Amino acid sequence: MVNAYILISIRPGKSDNIIRNMRKIENIEKISVVAGDYDVVVRVQVKTLEKLLKVTDKLQLIDGVKKTTTQVIEKEIAL
Amino acid sequence: MRIRKKYLFYALAFTSAIVAAGVSAIDSTISNLYIPNAWAFGFSCFLVGTFISLLIVIIFSIPVNNKESLGTKIIDPSFKRIRLVRKEEIKFHMIAGLGNAVLTLGYLSLLSIFGDPSTVLPFSQIVILYLIIIESITEKNMPTLSEIQSSIIVTFGAILVSISLTGSISLEAFAIVFLVVNPAWVVFSIYQRKLKLLKIDNRPNDSLNIRLWNVIFACIITTILIVIYDMFMGTGYLIEGISASIEHFNWVALTMGVTFFSYVFYIRALGIGKASVTQAVRASAVLFAIPFALIISYYNVIPPFSTDPVMILIKIIGTILVILGIISFALAMTKAYVFITVNPGYPIDETMNKLWNIRGVTRVTATAGKYDFIIKIRIRTLVKGYEKIIRKLEEIEAINKFKWESVLKEWEDI
Repeated sequence: MVNAYILISIRPGKSDNIIRNMRKIENIEKISVVAGDYDVVVRVQVKTLEKLLKVTDKLQLIDGVKKTTTQVIEKEIAL
Repeated sequence: MRIRKKYLFYALAFTSAIVAAGVSAIDSTISNLYIPNAWAFGFSCFLVGTFISLLIVIIFSIPVNNKESLGTKIIDPSFKRIRLVRKEEIKFHMIAGLGNAVLTLGYLSLLSIFGDPSTVLPFSQIVILYLIIIESITEKNMPTLSEIQSSIIVTFGAILVSISLTGSISLEAFAIVFLVVNPAWVVFSIYQRKLKLLKIDNRPNDSLNIRLWNVIFACIITTILIVIYDMFMGTGYLIEGISASIEHFNWVALTMGVTFFSYVFYIRALGIGKASVTQAVRASAVLFAIPFALIISYYNVIPPFSTDPVMILIKIIGTILVILGIISFALAMTKAYVFITVNPGYPIDETMNKLWNIRGVTRVTATAGKYDFIIKIRIRTLVKGYEKIIRKLEEIEAINKFKWESVLKEWEDI
């Protein structure tokens, strides 16, 4: 399994529509709207890196998404 | 069937609350009609409970296909079959068992004093007060105003509910509530969560085996406590408990059977959500206990409810305060991501452990890309975010830069 965070910057005024479209994408585990340098943080779980590329691709195709930064998780400690 | 994690969590926690309210009515019936002595009833609960829990877990271990058992399919996907307690679990089970034993004896003593389950249940919610005190001591941190507010509301609410029955206050009951039931509840819930978070054979620990072994350990500890008490006080509660278990087996088996499922749902909810949120949802048991109390009062098991409108009003206000206090405490949480870049020359594992040891950090991930670490944080207020997290992050030498991103809204497991 490949887990990753995708940090997204969006254009102002389109957030509702963007979130609605993101919620339709498979393999997205969590969508967090954040305040700071980025606008949305998405957590993805896919079987292969190729599938991660597909998710990133789908995200970038959403109207209003300005920039995505992908962080692939190498190791994790969680509750 | 695939449902959203959030809905599964609420379904589990609410079911657990309703079942817990029902159990308290059954306990009240047994305490008032059959086994009035709290020590004997407590011992009988664990003795019969061990047998019943064993039976239930054996039934749920029946295989339904090659990979799954009945329990895997309908109760807990982490469950495989009945198993022996593991070495790494023993310490946690001993402490959780002690918590459960003391909690049960205290709860049954309260039940024998008050009779009415809708009065006894709110008292178990004062546990929040203790969680804040423990946090304040261990963190050397002043609690926030909202934390103090919530815990005072809950405590006053529980006190109001208790005086609403007779118009008087029982000091003995208060001593049991503050010195026995709630401290034991804190220990019990903390260690149950620790057990749930353990990995057994590379899969999450299952709630059925946790409950079974908790009852067994609690039974052993209760036996030791009763033997010591009998030796020093010259009482014969152990014998009384054994004979009560035989004489009223059906009643005790009923309460322990139903309790088993209430706890299994509670432990599963604990594994999904935060302890405080689980506790908040479970606080609704206070509300659900009222109809159950009315039913047993109708059958004259407990004295009829006061018809004095002032007393009824006090009970309603008290119940609302308890629930509101807990909900406002549990749901006032702030979440954030912190994106971290580190300086070269520091081992990743060491930095990862340092980050993990910061209170409030719920997830640490080492990532490949622009940032070296992404950590997830859950804290009660943003002020605590500075005191607890930022100060600690600044103390870690390896960290070069970090960015705080507060979570405004979140969707999960879509």
